[in-house]
Amino acid sequence: MSVILECNGLTKTFGSKTALSDINLKIELGQIVGLLGPNGSGKSTLIKLANKLLTPTRGNILIGGQEPGIETKKIVSYLPERTYLNDWMRVHQIIELFTDFYQDFKPEKAYDMLKNLNINADDRLKTMSKGTKEKVQLILVMSREAELYFLDEPIGGVDPAARDYILKTIISNYNEKATVIISTHLIADIENILDSVVFINQGQIVLTSTVDEIRDEKGKSVDDLFREVFKC
Amino acid sequence: MLSKLLKYEIKATGRVFLPLFLALLAFAGITRLIALIGQQQWDTPVAISLLIYGFIMVAMFVMTFVTMIQRFYRNLLADEGYLMHTLPVKPWQHIVAKLLISMFWIVVSGIVAFISILILALERGDLRDIVASVAPFLRRVLDQFGNWTYLFSLEMLIGSFLTLASGILLIYASMAIGHLFRKHRMLASFGAFIGLNTLSQILFGILIKIPKIAPFAGMPMNADEFQAQLPIIQEYVIYGIALSVLFCTIYFAVTQYILSKRLNLE
Repeated sequence: MSVILECNGLTKTFGSKTALSDINLKIELGQIVGLLGPNGSGKSTLIKLANKLLTPTRGNILIGGQEPGIETKKIVSYLPERTYLNDWMRVHQIIELFTDFYQDFKPEKAYDMLKNLNINADDRLKTMSKGTKEKVQLILVMSREAELYFLDEPIGGVDPAARDYILKTIISNYNEKATVIISTHLIADIENILDSVVFINQGQIVLTSTVDEIRDEKGKSVDDLFREVFKC
Repeated sequence: MLSKLLKYEIKATGRVFLPLFLALLAFAGITRLIALIGQQQWDTPVAISLLIYGFIMVAMFVMTFVTMIQRFYRNLLADEGYLMHTLPVKPWQHIVAKLLISMFWIVVSGIVAFISILILALERGDLRDIVASVAPFLRRVLDQFGNWTYLFSLEMLIGSFLTLASGILLIYASMAIGHLFRKHRMLASFGAFIGLNTLSQILFGILIKIPKIAPFAGMPMNADEFQAQLPIIQEYVIYGIALSVLFCTIYFAVTQYILSKRLNLE
């Protein structure tokens, strides 16, 4: 299998605070990976570095062998942990924007998902609840046929019913040629869809493993192992 | 990709400017209408309408400035940057799109303001008078400048656009430099603006002295003397344009470097 994401000695500091410290990581194509860790462990920092929203202090991060740039942006679909869409835009206008800029964006897929979640494409984002905005952003991100998806806290703000739909969407969109990296601390909810996990704490990788290994060798669920590793 | 960025930039800013333009033209018209209906003297409705007109005029020019800053800061250096910087677009295209649309609205605002003044104040026969007084002026310019007229006009136009662009790029570069700081980025941007502006003026002061252009031979006394000096003036203008280009390039390069190599969104 080929490596889609690779970090070599990746370090990011903010002033005197170290967010990521000498990360070495390889993630292969064709799996769903949980990037798991407590708040402030460096999950978002890692994802933002992969999207070139942050500049590494040392080391590098490669996507399909390339440094983040215009070519990697074409194959990476990213859901940030915050709402970033212009308030004044209507949903269908944002879909047009995505269609314009991303060649792999499938508008019919987006409209389909909007319908399933009862979101009106003519609504302005300004009038939407926080949860609905998050759903719209996730729909946009999942309507691309990207090679690498970064979902930063994708289910944090939505209700359980929508949570199920979203997870179903992630699985059904995912294919052999794509990798999905999901960052979250709500492990129990996503445990069943994960192929492998990366535990991250205080800017360092604590553990990388497949979910099967955890279950078979340690006889634990990912959730249990997480609680054990990150015991306060 | 640049054309798509321009399209979205126009959409995002047009929704602010078009209503302002319409309001300005409408109030110019309303004021005119009230004045026509009423007597010749200045009565209260006209005064109020004129006040609103003036207010919109000020708001329009303030908005061109505010939008110039806000679109760059919010869209590229704050939350909306999460979308803009993950689009498969090169950073220089973002800068150019923002710059061109800012310049566009500043120019259009000027034109709309001019039209509104015409609506407000133009009397029957004014146009003829204006043409009648401009024509001899143009003729005199042609006499004085001769064949240089067209070249000078073109250079003036290019010069004004470049000056406008360098002003905007100076502000962009300042915000980009402010972005290098972890805290108090707004304050840092303001400081960067003062610093960058001062440095630019010093550099300009030095550069302007470098070329060996022949000095003016005193104030021209008549058309012939003036014409003789035109080539010298011409050299100064060209050098001025070259300096504007240089400053635009420096500000652009600073902004481009920071956006592509030193971006750190919060």
